[in-house]
Amino acid sequence: MITLEGNHLTFRFPEVHESAKSVLQFQRTLRIPDNGKHYPLPPGLGAFPLRHVEDFTDRVPKGWRERAGVMMPLYQAEAMWISFDAGWRSRGGYPCAIKVAAGKINAISGKPWTPELDGSERDYIVVPEQPWLDGFCIAKDVIRQFVAMPLGSGYSVEEQITGKPEHGGLQFIVYPMLRERYEALLQQRERSSDHWAVAGASSLVLRCAAEPVRAMGLAAGGRMRQQIYADPHGLDAWDQSSSNRCFVTLVDAVQWREITGEAPPTKPPTAADYTKAGLPWFDYYAADLETLGGAQALALAKSVAEMAEEKGEQVLGPDGEVNPDTIINIGPGEISLPKALPRESKR
Amino acid sequence: MTGFGDYVRMARSTRAETDVRFSLRQVAQRIGVEPAYLSKIERGLVAPPSEATIIRLATDLGEDPDVLLALAGKVGSDLQAIILRRPKEFAELIRQLKNAPDHALLKVVREVRDGNW
Repeated sequence: MITLEGNHLTFRFPEVHESAKSVLQFQRTLRIPDNGKHYPLPPGLGAFPLRHVEDFTDRVPKGWRERAGVMMPLYQAEAMWISFDAGWRSRGGYPCAIKVAAGKINAISGKPWTPELDGSERDYIVVPEQPWLDGFCIAKDVIRQFVAMPLGSGYSVEEQITGKPEHGGLQFIVYPMLRERYEALLQQRERSSDHWAVAGASSLVLRCAAEPVRAMGLAAGGRMRQQIYADPHGLDAWDQSSSNRCFVTLVDAVQWREITGEAPPTKPPTAADYTKAGLPWFDYYAADLETLGGAQALALAKSVAEMAEEKGEQVLGPDGEVNPDTIINIGPGEISLPKALPRESKR
Repeated sequence: MTGFGDYVRMARSTRAETDVRFSLRQVAQRIGVEPAYLSKIERGLVAPPSEATIIRLATDLGEDPDVLLALAGKVGSDLQAIILRRPKEFAELIRQLKNAPDHALLKVVREVRDGNW
């Protein structure tokens, strides 16, 4: 079962184990410059609001109603990252395998969405090892940041790969670890004082006239250093008879109030302004875990900046000079480190 | 009152064992209170702080705000607003569920509906 608790999406599997749950959150963040440089991890600036799509059936298109799930507001060219919390505050959490897609294109493999776990594809992430996902995996230890663009404008990775603006949004399917494998792991954790698993351990512009509601898709932004970890447990560790999936519709933030009656979040600061203020960036490495290579299909997708130049469009504001001086290095077990920093749940 | 203070002290001091940022002084600074006041809260010498402070404290310690509010004998203002909109219905619902086991409570929690995609 999936529940919406505050702005968290909680996936629970009580039929597998009372502790089997995984929590997803979508974090507002800076959009990093798309200039060929590789940037560290930007901060979290608070969670995006999430709402049940079915609560607004009279204000959303038929296709959204049919997909159901939840929705959240993003401005054009706004960046985001996904936080995976397997319950690290409760010492270790319950391991889950998660497939993540944008516009039904797998964010790790670049291949069209399939719900099944396929070990040969290595197209899923594992929590708590993977605490965050900031973008499309284009090369080993390099991602391109998730950046929202209007679906149909041609910028989204989905449109570039399939040629069609069909789905947009984000899609997830979560598989819990098999009960017996978890119990064995729990015993192993109890024997060891090394809580590896703690690794995972883990406010506008109003439109007066009613316009058609605009869905957003995720495009590829600037390059960032981020490791995507391979499954350390093996395919047979996952209970593929139990899964929960969810479609997260991305709504143009300027239309959020028309749909929900609520104000959307304010636009985040620019990366340049944030950096000038001396605020920190982050690096996260788990040295002992194997990392996945990038997907060619994703590496070949043009970034927003590249496509805007090609189209002769001005869709991104000026990036300004961004030289992150303060970079906090964190590793497994240190996720809570930046609590005092402007990052709500991590880094 | 002591239940709240004991819980906070235990949660904070457990973290402080491995992370100096959870000293009384640093936690107090981050949540915007005087260290002496936080100390009194932990020892149950004063009443629990305001809802806003409790939420900041829960967030800083990685604890559930609703649990901390309940320990302080409070109900979050968001929950109060929800109940006050339909007091009769929610009062009855809560009474009906007061002894239900956790798995039964989960059955009445609203699920995110999955459609066709």
